[in-house]
Amino acid sequence: MRQTFAIGIGGAAGQGVATPGDIFAKIFSRRGLHLNAYNAYQSIIRGGHTFLTIRAGPEKVTNMGDCIDLLIPLNQDSMNRHLALLSTGAACIYNADTIKPGATGDGVQLCPLPVSKLADITRNKVAQNTLAIGAGLNMMGISFQALENALTEQFKKKGEAVVTENVGIARAGYDHAASKFKPFAWPLPMTENRYAVLSGNIAMAMGGAAAGVKFYCAYPMSPSTGVLHWMAAHARKAGIMVRQVEDEIGVVNMAIGAAHAGVRAMCATSGGGFALMSEGLGMSAMMETPVVVIDCQRAGPSTGVPTKTEQGDLWQMLGAAFGDYPRVIASPLDIGDCFKIIPEMFNLVDRFQCPGMVLCDLLLSEGRLSVDPKDLGFTPVIDRGELITTANGTPSSPATSGDYRRYEITESGISPRAIPGVPGHVHTAATDEHDEDGVLISDEFTNTVKRRAMMEKRMRKVTGIEAAIPPPALWGPRNADVTLIGWGSTSGVIEEACEILSEQGISANQLQIRWLVPLHGEAIVEILKGARHTIIVENNYSGQFARYLRSESSYVPNGYIRKYDGEPFMPHHIVEAVKEQLTGKTTLSVPAHEIMV
Amino acid sequence: MATTPTSTPVPKTNRIGLSIAEYKGGKTTLCAGCGHNAISERIIDAMYEMGVSPERVIKPSGIGCSSKAPAYFMSRSHSFNAVHGRMPSVATGAMLANRNLIALGVSGDGDTASIGIGQFVHLMRRNLPIIYIIEDNGVYGLTKGQFSATADLGSKLKTGVINDLPPIDTCVLAIQLGATFVGRSFSGDKRQLHSMLKAAVAHNGTVMLDIVSPCVTFNDHEGSTKSYKYMKDHEEPLQDINFVPVFEEINVEYDPGTTVEVTMHDGSRLRLRKLEEDYDATDKILAVKRLAEGHAKGEVLTGVFYVNTQAPNFIEMLNMTDNPLTTLPESVVRPGREVLEQVMEELR
Ligand SMILES: Cc1ncc(C[n+]2csc(CCOP(=O)(O)OP(=O)(O)O)c2C)c(N)n1
Ligand code: SF4
Ligand SMILES: [Mg+2]
Repeated sequence: MRQTFAIGIGGAAGQGVATPGDIFAKIFSRRGLHLNAYNAYQSIIRGGHTFLTIRAGPEKVTNMGDCIDLLIPLNQDSMNRHLALLSTGAACIYNADTIKPGATGDGVQLCPLPVSKLADITRNKVAQNTLAIGAGLNMMGISFQALENALTEQFKKKGEAVVTENVGIARAGYDHAASKFKPFAWPLPMTENRYAVLSGNIAMAMGGAAAGVKFYCAYPMSPSTGVLHWMAAHARKAGIMVRQVEDEIGVVNMAIGAAHAGVRAMCATSGGGFALMSEGLGMSAMMETPVVVIDCQRAGPSTGVPTKTEQGDLWQMLGAAFGDYPRVIASPLDIGDCFKIIPEMFNLVDRFQCPGMVLCDLLLSEGRLSVDPKDLGFTPVIDRGELITTANGTPSSPATSGDYRRYEITESGISPRAIPGVPGHVHTAATDEHDEDGVLISDEFTNTVKRRAMMEKRMRKVTGIEAAIPPPALWGPRNADVTLIGWGSTSGVIEEACEILSEQGISANQLQIRWLVPLHGEAIVEILKGARHTIIVENNYSGQFARYLRSESSYVPNGYIRKYDGEPFMPHHIVEAVKEQLTGKTTLSVPAHEIMV
Repeated sequence: MATTPTSTPVPKTNRIGLSIAEYKGGKTTLCAGCGHNAISERIIDAMYEMGVSPERVIKPSGIGCSSKAPAYFMSRSHSFNAVHGRMPSVATGAMLANRNLIALGVSGDGDTASIGIGQFVHLMRRNLPIIYIIEDNGVYGLTKGQFSATADLGSKLKTGVINDLPPIDTCVLAIQLGATFVGRSFSGDKRQLHSMLKAAVAHNGTVMLDIVSPCVTFNDHEGSTKSYKYMKDHEEPLQDINFVPVFEEINVEYDPGTTVEVTMHDGSRLRLRKLEEDYDATDKILAVKRLAEGHAKGEVLTGVFYVNTQAPNFIEMLNMTDNPLTTLPESVVRPGREVLEQVMEELR
C-alpha cells in the first residue's frame, strides 16, 4: 500500500480553511512530496461547511484517499461531522476554548489547544488556525524553519509586523505540541523532487498557452471559472487576447470568429453554458472552423449542485448540435493530463477542421495535484494542418478568386483552409449547406447530389481522426480477477482501488478511456474479450459511459459502480463494491459517501 | 446604318484602379423589388467610390433574407454567414484576431432585434470598428412574414394580424450604448443612403445603420408602416447629407449657420445641412430626445442621428499589438518556455 498522510481541515466558508491548506500544501511539495487536494464546499460565500482534504506521500497521490490522519476542525460543526470517522493512529487538533470533542474511536489522539492562553485572540482572529498548523507540523516531525518560511511568504505583503506575529503564534503551537502531544508514528520523508501544485483549470489554461492559443473567451461558470482567471491574469505575459463575453452563446461564436480569422481559440464553461453553445458547435462543424470547447462538469441537471462533481454531461456532449458532423471528444485522466490534452486536441482539430471538446469535471478543475513541470513539455508540437495564411504566389486575379475552393472535395475530407484576407482565396463560409466554392446549395435548388457529396466529404474526416487517436490500453496484470473500466477523472481512484484489491488477494486491472469520440469500440471489445469480470465505474446516475459503450460496440459488462451524490469516489467505495459484486450479490453498486460534507 | 465605335471605351476605375464590376456580387435570389437588393447596390457604389480594397473586407451576417444579401455584392470579399442572431460575436472574434480586416456586417430586424438583441446590445457597447447594417422590413422575410420586434405598434400584416407591442428602436439603443455613428435611412432614398454609406466607410468605430428596406412579398401593403408608400409619405430627413472623401477636392463652401461639418477620422468631411434648425448630431442626449419625440409624433426620422469621431475604437482601447494576431509567426505565437517555467515556479 502507498504510504500517505492526509489532513482534513473543516470549517465554515469565511473561517479561513484555505490558508492552512495552502501552507500545508506548500510545505509538503517543498519536501518533495506528492500531494492531492480536494475541497468539498458549497455555493455560498460565508457559512456552510467546507472540508479540505490534503493527502501527501512520497509516491504519486492520485486521489483523496480513504482516511484522515490529522483532523483540524475549525468549528463545532466540523468536529461533529468528522471526528467519529478517525481511526487508530489519527489525531484531532482543535480549539479547546470553543469546541468540545465527542466520542472517538480507539487509538485516536485528541489534541486540545488552549488558544486564548497561547495567543492573543483579540488581535488575531485566525490564531486557532495558525496554532493548529504549528502543532500539526511538530507532530509530523517537520522542522519549524519550513513553516517559518512558508508563513513569511504568505504574509510578507502585509508587512513585517504581521509576519512576526504569525510566526510567533505558529511557534507557540509548535512548542505546545512538542510538550503535550504524541508525534505521528510515520514521519513524512523528504525527497529531492520539486513539484508544482496545479489545479486542473490552471493546467488547462497553461496547456492552451503552450498550444499557442491566441484567443480565449468565457462567461464565468463554476467550476470552469479558474481557466478564465488564469487567462485574464496571464493575458499580457502569455500574449493571449482574453475577453469576458455576455453569455455562452456569444462565447462560442466569438471563439469561432477568431478561429475563422486564423488564430487558435478556446473557451471553457460548465454544463449549463455548454447547452447554450450547442448551435455554435454545429457552425464550427459546418464551416470546418476548428475550435476547442471545455466543459467542466458539475452535478446537474439545470443549476444542479454548482460546487459538486459529476460525470453527467457525456450524453449532452455526444448529442450537442443537430445533424451529423465530425468532432473529437476527450476526457483528461488527471490534472497533469489537463495540460497535455489541450495541445493534442488543438493539433487534431486544426488538422481535421472540426470542433474539439474536452470533458473535464469539478474534481480535476478545482482539485489540486503535485505535478513535475518536467513531465508537461512546455513546447509541444504545433500542427496547424492545411492552413493557408499567405497568398504564396497565388495570383490575385481580379475577375475571379483564383481557383481556390474552400470546401474542395478530397479523399481525406480535409480541404485546405484559407483565412480571410488572403488574396486569391476569397470565399464564403456559411452555416447553410454549400458546395465546394462555399455557395449555398439552397440558393439554387437543393441539390441532392451536392448535399450528399459534401456530407460524405465532411464525414470522411472521421476515418482520419480515428487513425490519429491511439486506442486505449489495459493497465495492470493481463489475467485479473476483475477488470475495472472508467473514463476521465476516475483514473487515479480506480488505480488505487486496483492496488488495494490486489493486496487483498483479488487481482485487478484497469481500462481507462481518454478519447471518447471517436471511440475505438472494436479495440475495447478485443481487450475485454478475455476479461473474467468487468465493471464500469462512473460518477453519474444512469451509467452514461456504459450506455455509450454498448451503443458503439454492443459490449455489456458484468456490473456497474456508480455515484451521483456530488462527491468523488474514494478507493474503498470501489474496493467494497467490487467485492460485493464478485460474490454475485448485485451487479449495480451505489456506494454511500460517509463523510457528511 | 448603325455607327461603329472607333475604340472600345476604357472602363472607369476608382482610386485603387478597380472598376465597379469588381465590386459586384452574385446574382440575387431575393424577390424582385426587395429593399435589400437596393441596399446591395448602394453598398457596391459606396465601396467602389471610396476605393476600398475588396480583399480586406469581411462580410459577416446572420440568417434571414437580409443576411443572404452579402452574397449579392462584393464577390471579392470574404463572406461569413453565421447562425441566426450571432453575427456580432463572430465579427468581434474575427476582428480581434485580425485587426486589418474591414468588417461590413449585414443583419435583419429579426436577426438583430429579436433573437440577436443580446448580442447586438453588447456589440454596440464595444465600439468595434464595424459597419453594422440592419436591413429593416419589420418582418421575418425568410420565414414568411411574421412580425419582428421593429414592427410599429398597430401595423397590420396581410393576414390582418395587428402588431400589439411597441417597436424596439435600434438607433436609440445604439446611441445609448456607445456606437459612435448611428443613423437611419431608407433603401429607396438613394442619395441619402449613398452619402451615409460612404461616411460609414470613413468612420473609425461602430457604425450602426438601420435601413428601412421594404419586404415586397410580406410587408408592403396598406396598413404596413414599412412599405414603400408609407416611407415615401412619412420619411422626415433631419439633414441633407453631403460627404466629401479625403481624396476629393472641396470646392463648395458651406454656411456654418445652416450646416454642421464633421471631420472624420481619415480627414474626410461629413456635411450635414440642417433641415431642423436645432439638430446637432454630435449631441447624444439631443439625439435620443429627438428620436423619442419622433416616435410620439409618428414620424419616421432619417439621417445621421449621432456621430462621435473622438472615441477610441475597441481595438485601440484594448491596446493590442499592431500586427494582427493571426499573422504572428509561430515563434511568438505562444509564450516562451521561460514564461511557463516562471509561472510554474510561482506554483511550487
Ligand atoms: C435558431 C433559429 N431560429 C429560427 C430560425 C429561422 N429563421 C430564419 S431567418 C428568420 C428571421 C429572419 O428575419 P430578419 O432577420 O428580419 O430577416 P429578413 O428575412 O426579414 O430579411 C428566422 C426566424 C433560424 N434560422 N435559427
Ligand atoms: S421575402 Fe421579403 S425580405 Fe425576403 S427577399 Fe422577398 S421581399 Fe425580400
Ligand atoms: Mg426582416
